[in-house]
Amino acid sequence: MAKTHFRKAQEQRILKLTLRFILSASLITLVLWGFYSILEQNYIFRWGLALQHLDSFNKGLMLTLQASGLGLVLALSLGLIVALLRLSPFALFRDMGTLYVHSLRNIPFIVFVLFMYFGFARAVLPRPYPNITLLGWDIDDRLFWGALALGLFEASFMSEIFRSGIQSIHKTQIEASRSLGMSYAQSMRYVVLPQAFRVIIPPLTGEIIALIKESALLLAIAVNELTLTAKTISGQRPLQFEFYTILASYYLTMTVPISILSHYLEQRFNIHRRRS
Amino acid sequence: MISIKGVQKWFGRLHVLKGIDMNIAEGEVLVLIGASGSGKSTLLRCMNGLEKIQEGHISVDGLDIQASKTNLNKVRQEIGIVFQQFNLFPHMTVLKNITISPTKVKGISKSDAHITAEKLLERIGIPEKANVYPDQLSGGQQQRVAIARALAMNPKVMLFDEPTSALDPEMIKEVLDLMRELAKENMTMVVVTHEMGFAREVADRIAFMDDGVIVELGTPQQFFENPQHDRTRQFIHKVLQA
Repeated sequence: MAKTHFRKAQEQRILKLTLRFILSASLITLVLWGFYSILEQNYIFRWGLALQHLDSFNKGLMLTLQASGLGLVLALSLGLIVALLRLSPFALFRDMGTLYVHSLRNIPFIVFVLFMYFGFARAVLPRPYPNITLLGWDIDDRLFWGALALGLFEASFMSEIFRSGIQSIHKTQIEASRSLGMSYAQSMRYVVLPQAFRVIIPPLTGEIIALIKESALLLAIAVNELTLTAKTISGQRPLQFEFYTILASYYLTMTVPISILSHYLEQRFNIHRRRS
Repeated sequence: MISIKGVQKWFGRLHVLKGIDMNIAEGEVLVLIGASGSGKSTLLRCMNGLEKIQEGHISVDGLDIQASKTNLNKVRQEIGIVFQQFNLFPHMTVLKNITISPTKVKGISKSDAHITAEKLLERIGIPEKANVYPDQLSGGQQQRVAIARALAMNPKVMLFDEPTSALDPEMIKEVLDLMRELAKENMTMVVVTHEMGFAREVADRIAFMDDGVIVELGTPQQFFENPQHDRTRQFIHKVLQA
């Protein structure tokens, strides 16, 4: 009984939210449209024509997803390693971690991408670039360097999130687990990280979204991801407004579900958060 | 079972343990008492290596805690510790709290660990709480689970760091009763506590600490009825007045 009541209430809540969203979206559109009519421009909107280019957008989407996916895997794993370095009892490791985080966090991403692809890659690799294969998948070298830059760069942000999450877990939890004979690694794995995970869900999803958005800057090294695709085809057909609107909605379609998922996970893991 | 020789410890400039010598026999219950800041909790925490000592030696069951060749993780499996704030793992059920270390550290099979855990839960009187999370338990229940978690490793020594100080008065007895039972079963125990009744009744010996040294070490009878030192007399006078 209680459960159906709960579900009903939740359905009503979602319905209400949806209605409110539609209402506010229409209001904003109305206001913008009002301004636009005052300006008396004669831009002709050709949505039908623009939508015929969805195939190109979808190809760009694939590349955006690949770059973000590879970058994310790297950022998460390296971020955790750097976080553990920064929490290490050895000063040398801590310094290495600190140096990594601070040098990357304090330069613009686009500078780092340009450096990696035009600077670093050229300096260290023979030309022509060798083909790069990862698990049997031939990766275009621009995608490779783009994803690498994305992952390395975001690892510095992720590591700070991991570090603060780990540090938020009370030292007594480590003492209790070590007292039971667990090694440092076991204590991290079974006791600290699962608890830290709950704390870092909100900032972590924020950073994942940032990573996806930053992948747009890979256009600087000619990775044919979403943004470069939109830029290219809007040079070919005069449908800029439509194309960039479509571009923006592609990003929203990727990022909004992540925000919602984050919210859901946070609620779910929140239940047993009180300290024992 | 535990041998402590010439132990000195500093926290930065603060000299907290100023030469401690003591032996604790197998099956003995030693109660450490003293005012806060006297170093009793620190001494206890040194016994399982949670705190490092700068001078002296502590060995448990023949293994030197400080020696670099000693595998501290291994020694700690033999030393259970119970904390003032319970320190249960809040993201695990009661059962998981009890079985995690036996399975992951000792490599005991899950089913065997479960059987042991269920027996322990039976023993501490809350078999029905196996699948709840710590924050759904009362303080007394949490502390009993913490004791069960330590016992699940089948330790040779149990250390208690003010196990009842964070409890509501009506829950103190259930924890002390469990400790009494353990003492009866000849568990080697070192207990830091302010519970004078428990000390008088259960302790084989009482060590009174003040300002980083053991001022008095003797049977409860000697301690309460015939203390040798002024500082001990003053302390007893104060606590018995309260």
